[in-house]
Amino acid sequence: MAHSDNHDGEDFLSGPVPLPDDEPTAAELAHARAFASLVDRALAGRAPAAMSADDGGGLPHAGSGAEWRRGSIDRALVEAATVIRAATGGLELPAARKSSLVEAALRQAIGEPPVVTAARIAPVVALSSRRRWLPWSIAATSTAIAAAAIVALWVRAPRPVPPMPTAAAAVPASWTSRPSDALIGPIAREHAGDASARIDTIFADRLDGYRERTYAHGGRP
Amino acid sequence: MRRLALVALLLVGACADRDAPSPITRVAEPADAIDQDLMVALAQAKNFHHKAKVYTSDGNTAAAIAAVRQILSLRFPPSAPEAEDVRDDARALLAKLLVGQGQLDEAMRTVEEGLAASTRDSFFVANLHTVAGEIHEARAAQLETGDGRVTTERRAAIGEYDKSIQINEALQKRLMDER
Repeated sequence: MAHSDNHDGEDFLSGPVPLPDDEPTAAELAHARAFASLVDRALAGRAPAAMSADDGGGLPHAGSGAEWRRGSIDRALVEAATVIRAATGGLELPAARKSSLVEAALRQAIGEPPVVTAARIAPVVALSSRRRWLPWSIAATSTAIAAAAIVALWVRAPRPVPPMPTAAAAVPASWTSRPSDALIGPIAREHAGDASARIDTIFADRLDGYRERTYAHGGRP
Repeated sequence: MRRLALVALLLVGACADRDAPSPITRVAEPADAIDQDLMVALAQAKNFHHKAKVYTSDGNTAAAIAAVRQILSLRFPPSAPEAEDVRDDARALLAKLLVGQGQLDEAMRTVEEGLAASTRDSFFVANLHTVAGEIHEARAAQLETGDGRVTTERRAAIGEYDKSIQINEALQKRLMDER
């Protein structure tokens, strides 16, 4: 044994660092066994409810100051072991906790209000319920408003007014297509072949009427 | 829900379209108002008559006849009284041109077609009877003296002139009464 026996009964953390080939002291062995037992119980789910800084979970310590430091180290190590085990997926929930979560999920699925059994679940279930009903509420409200708008438009829409029966307006005769007798008059025999002159007269007269009618309509025939 | 909202929007849009202002009243126009189609047809007839006049002055009677024939194929608005007047006058001119070419039978056929197509008495119908009388006169002139048909043609000419006179008198009386 390379290091002295003064390691027994005092804090080995504050003592000199032992050489690699040194034999462990009795105190070190007792502490190692107690710590191994504590880790085993933690991994088996039987960890102590709380480990105070001055409580090493049953680990043998010597002296109050040394005990406090070793307790802190042991607690950190046990927590690290627990986290490692949880991260590997080896943790299982208790049966009561499992059944509680499953029941809450089923109640949520069928739309029943959740039974608040645990302080952690209650707020989560209530928030989920609001999120589930909020879109439906908005959609229902929008649909109701749209239906009301349609009804309002339908009721307030003016009834189709049938075209008013209109009579042909009394327009000047010069605006109408009509026989040319009054314009041309009797055709003398010597002018029987003067159709060119007559068509000029007819065209000029009808053009006057067409222009009058066009201008009366603001330039649109 | 989105589909329901879309349907609602479409219905609102349809209602909005229905509210679009639509003309309820319209300016009443008589069906026989002078329109652009009538003016175009009259203008074309006018141009063909001028072409025929130029051809006639140049001695190209055949071209003048062709130009006048084109007037008969013009499309006037349906039931436009001017259409009948213009066609009757064109047939009268065509018949006279044919008479000048010695085509008396063709000239008479042209006049008879015009009379048959006329739906009312007019100064243009009276003119067709006048031209028919001239054709009968031309036929009588072509016959030798002593031919029994000469008298027949001359009587036929007188008959056509009488019809023309009767139509003219009746029309003038009616027009005077309308004033």
